[in-house]
Amino acid sequence: MKKTRIRSDGPISARPDTEEATATLDRTWLSPPGFIGWFTHVNHRQIGYRFIVTSLIFFALAGVLALIMRLQLMSPENSLLGPELFNQFFTMHGTTMMFLFAVPIMEGMGIYLVPLMIGTRDMAFPRLNAFGYYVYLTAGVVLFASLFIGMAPASGWFAYVPLSGKAFSPEVGMDVWTTLITFIEISALTAAVELVATIFKQRAPGMSLDRMPLFVWAILVMSFMIIFAMPPVMTASVLLMLDRTLDMQFFVVAGGGEPLLWQHLFWFFGHPEVYIILVPALGMISMIITTFTRRPIFGYTAMVLSLVAIGFVSFGLWVHHMFTTGLPHLGLSFFTAASAMITIPSGVQIFCWIATLWGARIRFATPMLFILGFFAIFVIGGLTGVMVASIPFDMQVHDTYFVVAHFHYVLIGGAVLPLFGAIYYWYPKVTGQMMSERLGRWSFGLIFAGLNLTFFPMHQLGLEGMPRRVYTYLEVMGWGSLNLFITGGAFILAAGFALSFWNMFISRTRGITAGPNPWQADSLEWATASPPANYNFRHIPVVRSRTPIWDDEEADERQLVTGLSNERREILLTTVLDAEPQGVLILPSPTIWPFLLAIAVALGFIGIIFSPWWFVVGFFLSFFMIVGWLWPRRPWQEE
Amino acid sequence: MQQRFVIDVSGYSRFNPSRRAPIWWGVLGLILIEASVVTGFITTYFYLRLMAPEWPPAGVEPPPLLLPSLTVVLLLISCATMRWGGIAINREKYTQFVVAMFSSVALALGVLVLRWVQFHDLDFRWDEHAYGSVVWTIMGFHFIHVVSAALGTAVVGILGMMRFFNPRQQIAVIVDTLYWNFVGLVWIPLYVVMYWVPRWL
Repeated sequence: MKKTRIRSDGPISARPDTEEATATLDRTWLSPPGFIGWFTHVNHRQIGYRFIVTSLIFFALAGVLALIMRLQLMSPENSLLGPELFNQFFTMHGTTMMFLFAVPIMEGMGIYLVPLMIGTRDMAFPRLNAFGYYVYLTAGVVLFASLFIGMAPASGWFAYVPLSGKAFSPEVGMDVWTTLITFIEISALTAAVELVATIFKQRAPGMSLDRMPLFVWAILVMSFMIIFAMPPVMTASVLLMLDRTLDMQFFVVAGGGEPLLWQHLFWFFGHPEVYIILVPALGMISMIITTFTRRPIFGYTAMVLSLVAIGFVSFGLWVHHMFTTGLPHLGLSFFTAASAMITIPSGVQIFCWIATLWGARIRFATPMLFILGFFAIFVIGGLTGVMVASIPFDMQVHDTYFVVAHFHYVLIGGAVLPLFGAIYYWYPKVTGQMMSERLGRWSFGLIFAGLNLTFFPMHQLGLEGMPRRVYTYLEVMGWGSLNLFITGGAFILAAGFALSFWNMFISRTRGITAGPNPWQADSLEWATASPPANYNFRHIPVVRSRTPIWDDEEADERQLVTGLSNERREILLTTVLDAEPQGVLILPSPTIWPFLLAIAVALGFIGIIFSPWWFVVGFFLSFFMIVGWLWPRRPWQEE
Repeated sequence: MQQRFVIDVSGYSRFNPSRRAPIWWGVLGLILIEASVVTGFITTYFYLRLMAPEWPPAGVEPPPLLLPSLTVVLLLISCATMRWGGIAINREKYTQFVVAMFSSVALALGVLVLRWVQFHDLDFRWDEHAYGSVVWTIMGFHFIHVVSAALGTAVVGILGMMRFFNPRQQIAVIVDTLYWNFVGLVWIPLYVVMYWVPRWL
């Protein structure tokens, strides 16, 4: 590995860290306490934590919806849920899991961990961060509230027209869906832009791009994917909104519109979306494997390149969701080939992990168990993925439970298992306490068993022809016993997750104190206290290798930066490629404006459901909030 | 473990012009997002056109050329006046800066008036056919962007009157200009697609 480019001019005389200086620094970065104070927080750890907790709550709620659906399907011709409510339930289950759980929690992990991993004190745009959270919270709460007043969308999470058009869904539920999906993407996009700017400009001196932790790489790739994938779905949902509110004709066949346009726009987002969720999980796996084998990851460069390659190729796969729509065969073959191609970078990842694990003394703590679970489940999901990528087979199983089985294996196996591993792994950093290992092992066992008991039989149901999204089936079909079995499995799965939730809850008070680096990990987030003080790092570290903590320990020396003010929120800017120090940026303090702006934007979006004029109200109200937010206060900044 | 200070940043500038500032990258991100939305609209236009038996539909004329062409000219001039304002700041000519900002806003207002007239002159409504929907949507989308850019630049102009900016502290001007150039220049592909494609192709 090459030597650092940071010149060391011998010891620099720095003032020693008096307790008083540290206390001043802590006060400077303090988030104000109290109820009103809560709405002014801008610290990345507060915001990241809120994203994670809120999305876990949505995960639990969507899980409950799934359990109720399973109760409905438990026996033939059951009447627990009527068809309307069942439609609302599966629409909300999918929409919540994708838009309110999976993307926000991955962003929340990024927002919490990235600044710690790259050795900085906050993110580039702290107020924007807070704004994004309030947007997400409002959108999520309103969307879920629509379910309780019976106004929830009911056209499935991908909302195909013409079913979701005004002619077939005149109810207000679809309006709720189109406006809130557009609205919530704002939150995803602000987080993505901010993660990119932070990763580019705020890495600790010496952390050149080729020394960046793989999780940070994964978050960078995810953020770029969000920047290019979310706008098409915003376009699509705006067009549908215009169709529904202003009688436009984009998707109305009688007016020269094209229903298939919706599918193209939606899946151009929808397929990368799957990888937006998967890529951060891949980063988490690499971090956890490094720690629990106590080895640098095998093939770092290949890992980075394959992450980037996955990001690119994932934009060329969307038509494999549309094999049954009668598109030209040549086009379909192209997308089959592209679908096969993505297995190459995914394979590189898997083989590099295996090479890292090979012959290592692996510590089988709970996070590592979840990662090993990932290997098993994700490979099964990948195998059925290869099956449905073949057009004749896909024609057969399209819209059946086989597809439901496939994508639950891929999404739960590919993203949720690593995510729970990551929660066990980083929980001590966030709270200062370890989660219970005993409960963790039980939870993993139940999740692993429940997952297979629930979703494996669905392959069979799909091959037997049971369509997805039906609220019941006739007894003569003979699907009753398998469905009963699946419902039992679903409750085991839910119990597994519930155990982890319980573990998170009680370990805050009963967990063993963790200390700064309980797993003896290598990356910078473990170089500071658990939980970190308000300022994250007392001094910004200088990075000399890919595994800074291990190498600092070996050299018995940590190199640091001095000269940042204790009296105001200063962070260090470094160059994009080599992370050479470049300048100092002053960050804003806690403020209420992001909250006010979020309210203004929410008024506009939620108002559109009732009248287009609310758009104008929201637009100008937002403008005033943005001016209030950005208006410089005297005295103007001095050196 | 021994701690050693190897870098002292107390002498570094606290003002970060242009690409050094994260906000420059942030606005670049915003532009990428907006460009993706524009691509979505253009794709929609061509997809609908591809699927339509006739484009524009039988009996519908493509919108007239004069006013949108004039808009292109106004927007290009406004990009130049923004650049002029940036030069003014570096030379510490603050009156010239304020004049530049407000002339850009005035040009944008001209664009908005022209656009309003075009809306009135269109001989089809947005709810008649998909062609009408896409033309109205793209024109409206760009209209809203010009409004936002003009409002933002007016605020920058007012801050300039308060002598907030100087050669060291001008990042707000730089990123506002960056966004302005996007709003101005993105009209060119939209213009070609909406006014020339139905005539040429």
